[in-house]
Amino acid sequence: MSITEILSVERNEEWRALLRKSMKASERTAMERVHMPEVPAEERVLSHVEVNAGLTLEQATNEAKRCLDCVDPTCVSGCPVGIHIPHFIKRIETGDFAAAAKVLKQTNALPAVCGRVCPQEKQCESQCFYTKKMQKIPVAIGSLERFAADWERESGNISVPETEKPNGVKVAVVGSGPAGLAAAGDLAKMGYSVTVFEALHEIGGVLKYGIPEFRLPNVLVDVEIDVLKQMGVEFKTNFVVGKTASFDDLRNLGYEAFFIGSGAGLPNFMNIPGENLNGVFSSNEYLTRVNLMGASKKGYDTPVLSGKNVAVIGGGNTAMDSVRTAKRLGADRAMIVYRRSMDEMPARAEEVKHAIEEGIEFLTLHNPLMYIGDQRGRVTQMQLQKMELGEPDRSGRRKPVPMEGSEFIVDVDTVIVSIGVSPNPLVPQSVPGLDVSTWGTLKVDEKNMQTSIPYLFAGGDIVRGGATVILAMGDGRKAAAGIHQYLTSKKKVAATTY
Amino acid sequence: MANLSTKYMGLTLNNPIIVGSSGLTKTVTDMKNAEKNGAGAIVMKSLFEEQIMLDTAYQIKQAENDKMIYFNHSETLDYLDYHLREKELSNYLNQIEEARSKLMIPVIASVHCVTPGEWIHFASRIQEAGANALELNIAILPYSAKENCMDIESHYIDIIKKVKKEVSIPISVKLSPYFSNLVYFANALHQTEVASLVLFNRFFSPDIDIEDFEVISTNLYSSPAEMAHTLRWVAILSDQVKFDLAASTGIHDGETVIKMLLAGAKAVQVNSAIYKYGYKHINTMLETLENWMDRKGFNYVDQFIGKMSHYKANDPSAYERIQFMRYYSEIGL
Repeated sequence: MSITEILSVERNEEWRALLRKSMKASERTAMERVHMPEVPAEERVLSHVEVNAGLTLEQATNEAKRCLDCVDPTCVSGCPVGIHIPHFIKRIETGDFAAAAKVLKQTNALPAVCGRVCPQEKQCESQCFYTKKMQKIPVAIGSLERFAADWERESGNISVPETEKPNGVKVAVVGSGPAGLAAAGDLAKMGYSVTVFEALHEIGGVLKYGIPEFRLPNVLVDVEIDVLKQMGVEFKTNFVVGKTASFDDLRNLGYEAFFIGSGAGLPNFMNIPGENLNGVFSSNEYLTRVNLMGASKKGYDTPVLSGKNVAVIGGGNTAMDSVRTAKRLGADRAMIVYRRSMDEMPARAEEVKHAIEEGIEFLTLHNPLMYIGDQRGRVTQMQLQKMELGEPDRSGRRKPVPMEGSEFIVDVDTVIVSIGVSPNPLVPQSVPGLDVSTWGTLKVDEKNMQTSIPYLFAGGDIVRGGATVILAMGDGRKAAAGIHQYLTSKKKVAATTY
Repeated sequence: MANLSTKYMGLTLNNPIIVGSSGLTKTVTDMKNAEKNGAGAIVMKSLFEEQIMLDTAYQIKQAENDKMIYFNHSETLDYLDYHLREKELSNYLNQIEEARSKLMIPVIASVHCVTPGEWIHFASRIQEAGANALELNIAILPYSAKENCMDIESHYIDIIKKVKKEVSIPISVKLSPYFSNLVYFANALHQTEVASLVLFNRFFSPDIDIEDFEVISTNLYSSPAEMAHTLRWVAILSDQVKFDLAASTGIHDGETVIKMLLAGAKAVQVNSAIYKYGYKHINTMLETLENWMDRKGFNYVDQFIGKMSHYKANDPSAYERIQFMRYYSEIGL
């Protein structure tokens, strides 16, 4: 059945039909969208407590009522992993939260994660009937997803998706970030013997080292990973595929296909004077020290500079994470330096809102020209230049144009450069014959995520450059289906031959 | 046997013939070829900031149209221009390093920018990469009434001063011929401590296709006849400026090389003739130079550089004359 047909079958289930009749559409659309409870800004900047407190039962049930259970649920098309959105929301409306969580897990291995970090306003919620047809605020799909996942976790009865009988075929997943975890989950469901190889000592990739505790507590990631372990997925940490062992080595150990989700962990810099001064970090390094290596915690040896005047260069989610982390580490002045305007910032609206509430200073239409250091080689100042938005460039975005003569100096003791990432070159360089794009990403067939080497599939940032958790997960799922098709075809050919 | 070596911009050249910035110096293989065929130095193909900007914009557009790369609102896409620019710049810098490691002759980098700040950024990186010298290709065509000539000249001086403040390698400036008073402007350049002027930058030449009503390019290569303009100004300027001059445009044979040196140039830049006759033409021109020096009894090029400059020529008025008058035709000029 096609997804449209499946959604239609679900919609026609008796309980759904009864639920629709239980309340008029006009009553549903008259309800206000729920506001996610938040820890007050002045309190939350003193710790790494999660900012969003989560919906209460009543709030979630009421918000679920706003969903009109559309005949053509366009929200689903906005979800990169294809969650059956109306199906889980309507389960929440009936109070069957466990069932809601099960629906989520049919297509999403990490619902507690996605409910927290997805840019829903650009995805599912942008396609909601409220947004598209009524020009009203959409259903809080992300908040509801988080609610269902959290409820299940807190209940202690965490559902483990069913898996097919083991087929004895070994598949390796390189990288334990969202792409790898999603691929591993789907492959395990299909009965494959899955091993996830992770270079770091912790499983989770960017979910652990990149996204701060105040947005995504690491303990939640561990819960989701534990479900995968219960499904039979094996994890090997401190294992660098391409160095610890090559792909050929692993093939010799019986792995018949590979999913490469090694990510884009190479930070981009601006290459301006002074960028090599002590105290100038990439956001990757800064966040990894704090999130993964405990730099902000007592008793941990990892040093991190708790600057008083911290500048973060960039306007994306990682920049917001970095500057808000700096605030929590005690910065008196935590600044975002971004060369375009607020309207053009790529960060999630919620992250920007939270950052403003927490006292982050936004120097938009500003760009650094150089960093100045002291005799010890420590950064002490930066030279900024003001920008104005000029004519649109070829991409249609208004180009930031330097304003000559507008340069000025700002005191800083820590600078975090957060202007994006490039793919980790290790895998592309270690496999001869692997097609690589001009951006250093792996080229794949979009239909099944297969690379130029038939037994290698890839997804996530190694294919997309810097992207999102949910897009990576979508790739992982698609690749899992691609791997299954590849291995099945290979088996058929072998059977025919012999 | 004559010694052809010369000092140009403080660099010692085996001979005064430099292969100028062009497709002939695009790769290190090309540069090695030029050296093998006798070039005294090479000027690398220019690093054009505008080209980088166009390439970057094109690649970003490609990225935006590719569903698989850098999703909309990606922070990487937001600053992709920096990353791509750095890649292009790194390619050029790597090429400088490679050229320096493989060539014995001086390697002069060349840069053209459109954003004021980028001149300094590119120049300092080029110095770090090891270029022997830097040629600033500050080509400004005054096609608009918005800027007057003083503004344009100030712009040149501003760029050179800013670059000079940041780098210590010798700097040359390749000039266009469009100056109201080139002597005045050249003298004003003394304040910038520039090491040499290259006269002149030869621009892309427009033409009109009258059948298709299109503006097209023409005269890709210079002709020998174009040497006269260069000759005049080298001769006039060489007496009046303290920095070195390199002659460029219309130098197609060894005789013209000699003429430019006599006028006062310390070196010449050759391109079109090499495109036409191959790198081996460098040796042909050098043979002409050497034979002439032997015949005239010159052991070193310094013995005759500037011998026929504006002040030293028997009839300097020939350089000053711009009209065809009967007086001159009657006296055989």
